[in-house]
Amino acid sequence: MLVLTRKVNQSIVIDDEIEVVVLEVRGEQVRLGVRAPKSIAVHRKEVYEQIRQENLNAATVSTEDLLRLQKQLADESAGR
Amino acid sequence: MTKTCIDSTRFGRIEVDEEAVITFPQGLFGFESCRRFVVLCLDEKSPFRWLQSLEEPNVAFVVIEPSQFMPDYAPTISDADAHALGLDADTPYLTFVIVTVPPGKPEEMTANLMGPIIINASTRIARQVIVEDDCYTTKHSIVQEITKRAREGTNAGSHTQGESEHRD
Repeated sequence: MLVLTRKVNQSIVIDDEIEVVVLEVRGEQVRLGVRAPKSIAVHRKEVYEQIRQENLNAATVSTEDLLRLQKQLADESAGR
Repeated sequence: MTKTCIDSTRFGRIEVDEEAVITFPQGLFGFESCRRFVVLCLDEKSPFRWLQSLEEPNVAFVVIEPSQFMPDYAPTISDADAHALGLDADTPYLTFVIVTVPPGKPEEMTANLMGPIIINASTRIARQVIVEDDCYTTKHSIVQEITKRAREGTNAGSHTQGESEHRD
């Protein structure tokens, strides 16, 4: 991993078009600003992790579970 | 016409027209190598569909159109995602969300509203997008909403919105 030391208001540039600016350092928290073309997606890593984990959970659903679910929904809708 | 075949784990042999194939250039999160899928409808009366991989026989997701349980679902699609999908303001697109059913506990079924699947209806290019609107989670419980709408549909036949919590 490339490691760089920066101060507040200093930045790094990635591939000529993405700029990451250190806006504020407060205790253990760092506020970053990202200036990037609109085609670049920027998200916190936890969000990716959360969606990845949910996809892994969802991939294990069996046809039996879904059939049972559909039956249950049909029963409930009919007020049984 | 060219056909694609897969011997799927759950449904046996599936043969699809090439034009029915949905392409995810980046795959799905956690399934980056799965690029080609097809939406299977096994039961016309059910709101659920299967999103079956055409490359991995055992990879299939239960999906549902959010309009089936949350008519006012309106995720913000980022410029980056719209760009990747080739979506202009007037490009038609489909939205599906992935459903998780915990084994043996169908009543705890949830839908992932934070990572919906958007399909460009013209090109059939698709992408699982990340929605950072605070109101949407990866585990949104949907059994009650589906049941409620089914009841309204069968009893009244009208489109009562009910007391939906709309956020501005």
